[in-house]
Amino acid sequence: MLRAGEKAMIAYILRRMLVSVPILLVVLTLVFLLVRIAPGDPAVAALGDYASQEAVERMRQRMGLNKPLWMQYVDFLGQLARGDLGRSLINDVPVSQQIRRVLPYTLELTGSGIFVGLLFGIPLGIVTALRRNTLLDYAGRIFGLAGLSVPAFYLGILLMLLFAVELDLFPVVGGGELSDLRDNLHHLFLPALSLGLIMTAYITRMARSAMLEVLNADYMRTARAKGLQERVVLIRHGLRTALIPVVSVVGVYSIVLIGSSVMTEVVFSRPGVGKLMVGAMKQRDYTTLQSIMVIYASFVVIINLITDIAYGLIDPRIRYE
Amino acid sequence: MKKLTVVLTILATLALVQCGPGPASPTAEPTEAPVVEEEEPPTEEPTEEPEPTEVPEQVLRIAFDASDLSTLDPHFAAATQDRAIVDMVFNGLIRYKPGDISQFEPDLAQAIPEPTMEDGQQVWVFALREGVMCHPWNGNEGYELTSEDVVYSLEKAANPDRSAYAGEYTGMTFEAPDDYTVRVVLDEPLSPALLLPKVTDYAGGFVVCKQAVEDLGDEAIKTHPVGTGPFRFDSYTPMENVTLAGNEQYFRGAPNLGRVEAHYIPDISSRELGVREGEIDLAEGLREQPWIEKMEGAEGVTVDVFGPGETVVLHMNQTVEPLDDVNVRQAIAHALAREDFLAFFGEDTADPLYSPVPVEFLAGGLTMEEVEEAGVLYPTDREGAQALLDEAGAESFSLTSNTSERASYRRTYEAIQDQLKQVGITLNLEVVDHSTMHSLIREDANPLIVYIAWRPNADVFLTRFYHSDSIVVTGENPDTNFSHYDQIDGLIEQARQETDPDAQAELWKDAQMQILEDAAAYPLFILKFVFGRAEYVDFGYDLQSTLALYPQITENTQVTR
Repeated sequence: MLRAGEKAMIAYILRRMLVSVPILLVVLTLVFLLVRIAPGDPAVAALGDYASQEAVERMRQRMGLNKPLWMQYVDFLGQLARGDLGRSLINDVPVSQQIRRVLPYTLELTGSGIFVGLLFGIPLGIVTALRRNTLLDYAGRIFGLAGLSVPAFYLGILLMLLFAVELDLFPVVGGGELSDLRDNLHHLFLPALSLGLIMTAYITRMARSAMLEVLNADYMRTARAKGLQERVVLIRHGLRTALIPVVSVVGVYSIVLIGSSVMTEVVFSRPGVGKLMVGAMKQRDYTTLQSIMVIYASFVVIINLITDIAYGLIDPRIRYE
Repeated sequence: MKKLTVVLTILATLALVQCGPGPASPTAEPTEAPVVEEEEPPTEEPTEEPEPTEVPEQVLRIAFDASDLSTLDPHFAAATQDRAIVDMVFNGLIRYKPGDISQFEPDLAQAIPEPTMEDGQQVWVFALREGVMCHPWNGNEGYELTSEDVVYSLEKAANPDRSAYAGEYTGMTFEAPDDYTVRVVLDEPLSPALLLPKVTDYAGGFVVCKQAVEDLGDEAIKTHPVGTGPFRFDSYTPMENVTLAGNEQYFRGAPNLGRVEAHYIPDISSRELGVREGEIDLAEGLREQPWIEKMEGAEGVTVDVFGPGETVVLHMNQTVEPLDDVNVRQAIAHALAREDFLAFFGEDTADPLYSPVPVEFLAGGLTMEEVEEAGVLYPTDREGAQALLDEAGAESFSLTSNTSERASYRRTYEAIQDQLKQVGITLNLEVVDHSTMHSLIREDANPLIVYIAWRPNADVFLTRFYHSDSIVVTGENPDTNFSHYDQIDGLIEQARQETDPDAQAELWKDAQMQILEDAAAYPLFILKFVFGRAEYVDFGYDLQSTLALYPQITENTQVTR
């Protein structure tokens, strides 16, 4: 038998999933319209600069772009309802096949970026809070500010220059073979570090401010007054409370990280959903672009949901009612 | 905690460095393990000779400035990344000599024929080589190419539903009297300068294999080309790469390269670092002097700058006020300074251009002396320009044009903007992405249009840019006549029918003199192609010019790491 709290949580999750459907539909409609409102022509993109106007017109017909907009929209929704993401306008390869091939690369990149962020961000945030207004704290804060300011692609190029060109340690192009763990990790290191450093900056700042707030709380003083060791006070009483805002921030910043991963994939020429999306944008490949936006929108909805659930698990004060 | 973090970081870094396949990985491993014969049992007598080592497959990795292929159907392929693949996979009846477009030589045909007249029609008879094999595809074995394939291919090229170059083949019929003979019959005779490019290894002249196209279908060959060239299609990974394998049965002999990988890398930093680090062997570069100098300074890297390049021409839309006044157009021409553009792009990458048809590679172009003598050079004279503007009553005005984000376009427009400002003309620029600019200029959105292009001969240049049929939006066959110019239709058509090469060239020159006199367009410069290359890549020929838009990879190309 489920307890009342568990029942409430399941009901909450189902409710959130139902709400996600109209949100996704709105996003899809906006994406459908935006890619078509944007200037540019897939037929011109496909045929290149030298194509004659006649050839462009024929290509538009072949691509189905001469159909009325509403008909294209109905086709699009009909395909989605059948779980069919359609075929690329440019290369005629099923979009689902293209996404399935590159999705693991994007997941491993963002996953390792989050991992690096948590690995370094939380300890750094705590240490800078504990050593407030010292040289270490200032350094940590400058690092945090720099991390927020530096674009992912620029950081990627800097890392390439240092680790690949100067030190000759890592490759600069490609994502490696997924089936070859060594090769894959070798190609993953720099892009993951690039994203991870940005994530570290975000988490460091949040962990620091959360920890500072906790350090002055009454219950911390009480714990110390009870004679608990400082380490126990900090970890058991301080860290757990300080982690609550960090978890919510990790969720939000994971979404930011997905955005940053797009440029990271382009700079490192890694296979990935982001690189696929940029290519589709450049070529005005409507079907591929729409499908990728569906995937990204779904990611955002899922991450938000997971964040909310995790928030409740960590903070007992949260109730799903 | 701090110590633990530092230790973990160092350990993780060291582990990753150790586990990688080696820095830069210049000797890319073959996809399939080489066959190693079973070892002989050790003999009693030790031998002094070293054990024979298997020669690794030669692999060439090219990086293009593109996100993906557009189409590998040779009769539609137009973008650099597509033309390159098509060039390696297909042949024409004849071909431009690798590295030198000024010379034709036989390709699938045994010789370049002379035309004959039969019943008032011009006939070109091509005798095919025997034993040319179409590549295998999808489990089908290759087969010998015959005249049936060539006729099928030329008919496909002439079909507007199946080719972007169909307009080039109107008034032509194709016949296959036997397996190794192809007859091209023309309603109106053409000079060699106009006929031969139609059957070369360029655009509609590429020969497809009939059985493969019929088996795969027109859609499938966009990503699975089947031809007779030195390399056969192996695989395509969308948005990543195309790999080609060496064609062991190639009629000129098996290529030195076992595999060619064409990677789509739109980011210039990645392409550049890839070449410098030995992960890429050949990469499309920036057509700018500083980039060339930077790459030439890198160890083990060289830069190929080659022709014919693309003409950069400013077209002036005569339907827009005040450009409808010839004085204003001439004033703009006088306000511009070719030497400033050349200085801007650099001496290696840019050459001056004095006529719409470039004189260096094509018959019918005008030299600087000819243009100067005719008084249509328009030397930089900003006071004179101001006087012409005053005469037209257009002392100061402003125009707005859309430019591509690509450096070659944007920087040209910016230079024009700066120079026109000096005579009181304000040019506002809207930067849009490249395909958007192409859509907009075809909708007649720009009063001043910079267009960067190459065409295979003077007739195509003049017809598509200056014949009234080609006027954007309103022409009978709207194309790229952005200036709405309609004064040389007769000369273009007369030249097309002229079979004497010298007389034909004169007619083309006359037509261009008229264009320049009317200042419908102002030729600025020729922008050459630029590729960065690892020094261990040897093309196997002297690279001067190529219409394939990339340094051609042939059966003689070698990678000697």
